[in-house]
Amino acid sequence: MITVTINGKKLLLEKPVTILDAAKRAGIHIPTLCHHEILEAFGGCRLCLVEIEKVPRLQTSCTMNVTDGMVVWTETEKVVEARKAMLEFLLINHALDCPYCDKAGECDLQDLSMKYGPAAGRFAEGKRKHPESYDDPIIVRNMERCISCTRCVRMCERVQGDSAISMVNRTSKTFVEPFSGGRYNCEYCGNCLTVCPVGAIMSRLHKHTYRPWYIEKEVNTVCSYCGVGCSLTAQVRGDSIVRVVPEMEKGLNKGLLCNRGRFGYDYVTSPQRLKTPLIRKEGELQQATWSEAFAFIAQKLKEIKEKEGGSAIAGIASARCTNEDNYVFQKFLRVVLGSNNIDSVAGFAFAPAQRFFENIFGQGVTANPLHGISRSDGIFITGADPTTVNPILGLQVRGASRKRVPVVTLGHMPGLVRFATQRLVPQPLTDTAVLAALVTELIKRRPLSGEKPAFEEIIGKIPPVSLKDAEERSGIPAGEIGGCAEILSGMTNPALIIGRDSVQSSRGQENLLLLAALTYLLNGRIYLLSELPNEQGLVDMGCLPDMLPGGRPLAVESFRKRYGEFFSTEIPAAPGLSLMESIEGAKAGKIKALYIMGENVAYNVPDTAFVKEALSSLEFIVVQDIFLNETARLAHVVLPTLAWSEKEGSYTNLERRLQHVRKAVEGARSSGSMEDWRIIAEISRMLGTEMKYSDAGDILAEIAKVSPLHKGITYGDMDAGEFLWPYKGEPLRHDVSIAGIEIPEAGSLLKKPEKEALYVGIERPLFHSATQSRSSSALNSILPEPYVRLSRALAQRMSIADGDSVAVSTSAGTVELPALLDPDMPEGMVLVANNFADRGVFRVMSWRMHAATKSPVLDGMEATLRKIDRKTAEVSG
Amino acid sequence: MLNEKLVAEINRLRSKYKDARSCLLPSLYVVQREEGWITPDAMTAVGELLNVPKATVKGVATFYSMYRHKPMGRHLIQLCTNVACMLMGAESLVDLLKEKYGLTPNGTSPDGRFSLVIMECIGACGTAPAMLVDTDFHDSLNDKNILEILESYQ
Ligand code: SF4
Ligand code: SF4
Ligand code: SF4
Ligand code: FES
Ligand code: FES
Repeated sequence: MITVTINGKKLLLEKPVTILDAAKRAGIHIPTLCHHEILEAFGGCRLCLVEIEKVPRLQTSCTMNVTDGMVVWTETEKVVEARKAMLEFLLINHALDCPYCDKAGECDLQDLSMKYGPAAGRFAEGKRKHPESYDDPIIVRNMERCISCTRCVRMCERVQGDSAISMVNRTSKTFVEPFSGGRYNCEYCGNCLTVCPVGAIMSRLHKHTYRPWYIEKEVNTVCSYCGVGCSLTAQVRGDSIVRVVPEMEKGLNKGLLCNRGRFGYDYVTSPQRLKTPLIRKEGELQQATWSEAFAFIAQKLKEIKEKEGGSAIAGIASARCTNEDNYVFQKFLRVVLGSNNIDSVAGFAFAPAQRFFENIFGQGVTANPLHGISRSDGIFITGADPTTVNPILGLQVRGASRKRVPVVTLGHMPGLVRFATQRLVPQPLTDTAVLAALVTELIKRRPLSGEKPAFEEIIGKIPPVSLKDAEERSGIPAGEIGGCAEILSGMTNPALIIGRDSVQSSRGQENLLLLAALTYLLNGRIYLLSELPNEQGLVDMGCLPDMLPGGRPLAVESFRKRYGEFFSTEIPAAPGLSLMESIEGAKAGKIKALYIMGENVAYNVPDTAFVKEALSSLEFIVVQDIFLNETARLAHVVLPTLAWSEKEGSYTNLERRLQHVRKAVEGARSSGSMEDWRIIAEISRMLGTEMKYSDAGDILAEIAKVSPLHKGITYGDMDAGEFLWPYKGEPLRHDVSIAGIEIPEAGSLLKKPEKEALYVGIERPLFHSATQSRSSSALNSILPEPYVRLSRALAQRMSIADGDSVAVSTSAGTVELPALLDPDMPEGMVLVANNFADRGVFRVMSWRMHAATKSPVLDGMEATLRKIDRKTAEVSG
Repeated sequence: MLNEKLVAEINRLRSKYKDARSCLLPSLYVVQREEGWITPDAMTAVGELLNVPKATVKGVATFYSMYRHKPMGRHLIQLCTNVACMLMGAESLVDLLKEKYGLTPNGTSPDGRFSLVIMECIGACGTAPAMLVDTDFHDSLNDKNILEILESYQ
């Protein structure tokens, strides 16, 4: 026990903490400038000086730990004098232009100067001049205000891990600068903005548009971009969000955000938002009233259902919609229309991967808290770069690596190049061989626990793959793969992070089995990356062709009956069609009507030409969306819905944490747009099934009854703090159901392309997310144009320079894009993203369905590359 | 881009240090020795070679005053004008360099032969005034011998 006395208050402490922390616990505030709770102590500004009895000089309380018997005074005359002097030094060069500065009102220096200081120094020399920099689209840099506390630099280097800025020069010429001296060209997380105590770096988005004291309300909600589900506060004035800031104490992101969460919210106020319902008349979408639209939809659906049966109708749910929306959607399909044809993009990779692992390890096996990653003793990642797919999860990996936790990556991950202990970058299509070799090596090194004998039997049957064979396939030296196996075998409870590319591969099932084996052998915890905010919610709400709410299999009669009884109806026993099957069904004339809620299938599914053709052959398409996207343009009826910031509800993140999404603004509500669930409830009523919900809370209450997993949940539970799996509910208890697992043959593990070809794969840029980010002018200002990422070596061979126009062609089509050269990519691969109109990668991907998961296969798409010579084009054209 | 020789030299240096960052100062130094100054491209290349972020490289390179950030003449004169040297006539040497070679502090002579940097005490106060030309040390300077010395640097 340590006893300290601060300003006469006695404090008992178990462990030594800094004087600053101890004072905080005693409710005593010590001013600081260079200290920040997210950052390590620095001791640079000397504002936090305190007097300690028996210590001759003043000490910095942010760096000094308390010792037993210490007596500290924080506001003596001597201390106040010293603080005044420190402030005077800072003001030698600080511009003190508070009336003009956006930070005024929430600026630490302003507050401290008011409290302690003379507002001006005694130095007669002029202040340094440095023009405010507007070279960057997002961050305005005003170095006349910088006090060189280095908080931003430490944030960027130690926490964000981008190291995009540094203190350049020395003495009074010290400034914070990105490498270019102008544009940041960084990850644009904006976390440096959070920690700057003054107005030296500010967001350009709301420059001079408001004062902190103008903010009328603050709404705590959850980010709408990815499956991490960061907590954030929307600051609102006059029904618009003026700024988004992270919450320091709450949520899993603890004060951090990524670029999308912090800056990307402006899509909700895009002028492109749909304003009224549209109905196709004489081949054109034309404005219509809500009642017209409702009546038309009800009549058409009724007709089709009566004529063709419910199974001729399919629905596509949305990973951007809330649990409440999605719950009501599947109920509409199952109960009102009598169809199990419900799926979403979560059915492509997230759901099948989760199901695979749950069949072996039990429901909830992927429900692992995020902070477990940085606390683990090892990390293995494959299938996608977490720093772009789920940026805040990616920071956990970087944080772990900084603590020297071994990180092994399999696949090309640009955001982890500097953080991986060992990087394995195989040639295209050969990741399976490497995984198999790792499993083979680990079986030799790690004893089986005996915990799951049936699965151990399966592991035993996996054909062994030698390091040499893996080398021959992947091009990675056997020694390196062996070295990784050695690193992995030293881990006791590692985190295994798995992305979409491993699953949506032609060897997806093999990969999943190998990853499950790895998990078992290493006693690992699985984290499934999730590109969209509510993929897990889709699974848990039953938006899958064979799954009921609560993750209950439709195939089990008792579940099916129980569910049906709630609504006094019978649910068809046969599983429905997957999203891909529904599209094929549309083409084949089996599916007549498609009801799409917030999903852009005509863009987000491979082979957009095929998908559009299939959709065009449908008798009836309804689209609910906030934008008139590629899919909505093909619809017969389009209904404008509310965006994330305009409605109440909940999301379930990739840790399976349930979180409350709150309404921040009225927004499109004032022009008549409705929640997705409200629209569906109305149509349902017109079809003869009442859905009596007055608000999202009513739906949640119903979910709490219908889904055994969500038993008794309320928004209060979510607001009270961490609301983690399995909530208060009943997870599905079932025996290991490994009956369906196929043991792969050695040949399929060792598959390798027959000839040397070039393949096109999916780029997942940090700055965009499906097609939502297209409507964010902030994100567009960071990355306005798509690109094709290719290896520098390949580019050199083809005389392609950064920015040159390149045509990527496949059997499905061609896209023209500027080149981005990457020194760390394998040569046989080029990557194209799927975010930008007309130039998405799914234009050049062909329609290939995986036999087991019924979802699109993304690998193995052969492509050719051609440099476009503008000059010749001009001459000939 | 760094030439092969430089890359090899930096890789050799790298093996002497446990941590890549520790290797930054000597690596920048060899680049400067070869190219006369540290170009932004060189910072990028050194960063990539050592796997150190380029902004970090820039922070380091701009902190230490012995790295140059603009093109230099063939020979670098580092002349001290601190107290002892000033008392012993260093300032008239500055004037002389201007008159003779058109050299101003932080500048380069029009013929590209010399660059001049003014130093704060190079530790030769007892034999002031003193200067460094490239890596050679010269002290007890006066109007006459300084020109003779500089004649040997073409
Ligand atoms: S926005 Fe993020 S990545 Fe960019 S400089 Fe700031 S902390 Fe670094
Ligand atoms: S920009 Fe802000 S955070 Fe960065 S050093 Fe200057 S005052 Fe500190
Ligand atoms: S990591 Fe995901 S949830 Fe968090 S701010 Fe970024 S996009 Fe939003
Ligand atoms: S806060 Fe302690 S020295 Fe800056
Ligand atoms: S003052 Fe010139 S060497 Fe010391």
